[in-house]
Amino acid sequence: MSTQVHANLTEEQVRQISGELDEPEWLTETRLEALDALADLEMPDVIRTPGRDWTNLHELDFESFVDPLNAAEDKDQVGPADAEVLSWAEAVAEHEDLLKEHFGSVVDLQENYLTALSTALFSTGTVVYVPEGVDAEDVTIRTEQNSQSLFNYTLVVTEESSSVTILERQSTGQKQDEQYYSGVVEVVAGENSSVQYGSLQNLSEEAYNFTVKRGDAGTYATIDWIEANIGTQLTKTEVSTELNGESSETQIVGAFYGHNDQHFDLDAKVWHRAEHTTADLVTRGVTDDIARSVYEGVQDVGSEAWDTSSYQRENTLMLSDESEADASPKLIINNHDTEASHSATVGQIDQEDLLYMTSRGVNPRAARNMLVEGFFVPVFEEIAVDELREDLEELIATRLRTRD
Amino acid sequence: MARLELSNLHAEVADGDEKILEGVDLEVESGEIHALMGPNGSGKSTTAKVIAGHPAYEVTEGEVLLHIEDDEFGEDIEIDEDQRTWNLLDLEPNERAALGIFLGFQYPAEIEGVTMTNFLRTALNAKIEEREELFEEEDGDSDEDEAEDEGFESSPMEGPADEGEIGVAEFQEILQEKMEQLEMDERFAQRYLNAGFSGGEKKQNEVLQAAILEPSIAVLDEIDSGLDIDRLQDVSTGINALPDEQGTGILQITHYQRILDYVEPDHVHVMLDGEIAKSGDASLAEELEDKGYDWVREEVYGTA
Repeated sequence: MSTQVHANLTEEQVRQISGELDEPEWLTETRLEALDALADLEMPDVIRTPGRDWTNLHELDFESFVDPLNAAEDKDQVGPADAEVLSWAEAVAEHEDLLKEHFGSVVDLQENYLTALSTALFSTGTVVYVPEGVDAEDVTIRTEQNSQSLFNYTLVVTEESSSVTILERQSTGQKQDEQYYSGVVEVVAGENSSVQYGSLQNLSEEAYNFTVKRGDAGTYATIDWIEANIGTQLTKTEVSTELNGESSETQIVGAFYGHNDQHFDLDAKVWHRAEHTTADLVTRGVTDDIARSVYEGVQDVGSEAWDTSSYQRENTLMLSDESEADASPKLIINNHDTEASHSATVGQIDQEDLLYMTSRGVNPRAARNMLVEGFFVPVFEEIAVDELREDLEELIATRLRTRD
Repeated sequence: MARLELSNLHAEVADGDEKILEGVDLEVESGEIHALMGPNGSGKSTTAKVIAGHPAYEVTEGEVLLHIEDDEFGEDIEIDEDQRTWNLLDLEPNERAALGIFLGFQYPAEIEGVTMTNFLRTALNAKIEEREELFEEEDGDSDEDEAEDEGFESSPMEGPADEGEIGVAEFQEILQEKMEQLEMDERFAQRYLNAGFSGGEKKQNEVLQAAILEPSIAVLDEIDSGLDIDRLQDVSTGINALPDEQGTGILQITHYQRILDYVEPDHVHVMLDGEIAKSGDASLAEELEDKGYDWVREEVYGTA
């Protein structure tokens, strides 16, 4: 797509969105700068091989498609009393200093065309603030999209020795032929705090989805992500952690199941930037029909990252001959004091496994379903949020059972 | 009573034309123990796989028939006279299992994420369900049958799809009893099917599955290979229980005389070059141990 500023998007629109949220001048300016930058920004990186981009982000003419002033959603933002779970407007009113300090501090808001577009146009969001020493369980954020486009922003800040478990779900209420969901999530994990952020994306299969979720882990902090993708026709996501604090840790667990003509482009990234940091990246997914998955996993060990442990594995199971799956696990090591591994596999259901099961009386369809559900189990076992695991199991089981 | 009959069975690798079986004739009846011996590459394992319905092999000639008497599956299943002989080659592996065929694999698959309990209960229920379908076909037209099938999986009256004839609690009892008989650690039940099992544990698990599924005919492909002596005795006890307690007919494929000391065969067959070259009683196995397969070759073909 062309990246000249389209007549559809105007400074007035951005001012109107910002004004309705009662934002201070600096926020309005940040949005306007992002709008301005669109003209010069590129689409997010996708893996390229000669003659082919693995993901085509140019299918949708975003600028003429988005309809920022008519955003509509149904949202729940719930959490325990000792943590603050605020809508964006509430956060603007009550925590301007917090926003000033952290908004855009983890994700570069002009990192690429789609993040800038999201920054300029987001009209909804959630801020989760966990004070020192507080353990906040069961924060849930549910977003049901009812409009052509929806731009969402989430900020999580945990103070020293606090912890929080967040479960975020996206789904579609009123379906349209084409829809666009965009989400930016920033997590700032303070010293010795722990953040578990689970996300279950189950948007309409007509929807396009772009999300970037990135965390900054402080000293002895832990950020664990669960990234589950079931819906959309095209998803481009990045889930990543900067391990900036000594002895910080992260885990990125991913699960996806694409069928029909779904396309998932999923990045999992970790930057080891301090001593004694640990990362564990585990993703498993299934592709069926003519679905396509592209996985890129990056473990980047910086020169100051002594005593690093970093592990990555990705496995894709193809249920049809026509589906496609590509994986690119990358390991970049600039400090020799590193223990690391990375692997990716793509395969089909093993015929010997299938025969083993059918020879005991299980019919081929039930055997296949058991094998697929079993394939996801190593990922399920890593999901500590019971509700998310159960919902995901259910979605996978349902999708399998609708198949011949 | 059941009888498995292989006659003039010829088979080759499906995606090639390498002939492996060149006219196998063999019969195994309920309660009998047959040992099938022979050198590597003689076609023993292929025979087992063809009986189970492995897709990698194509049968080019001959038959695999299963004859059953009217009371084979107890009082609940009525077997009409025209349903007493089945051509297994026309049936899917799971249908063969429902008719009472069991294959114990030489290399059992490791199935991640599926617990033994879940798998075995599913298999047992699927077998019961499939058996009912196979023998109910005469009643009503096929449309009705199909409607019934669909109803079974989704009907709220029948409970969730994973429920079946044998409920969780009842199955636990069966499993526990059989595991005790085989002196298996009860923790096996909650482990993933063969995943991370030692070679011996896998073989023990094959015998356990046979004990639970109560087959009419069990083909055990090199169940003895890679077992230490203690495990060999446990596995042998389990195998002997199949004919003794359930009337299962056993076709035991092995390289070694060793297991035959514990599981004494009624009949011994020697396979050479895709055919049964010689059959006899238990003494044949001992003779083989002394003289080797070349002796059979020489005796049968007059050349070594």
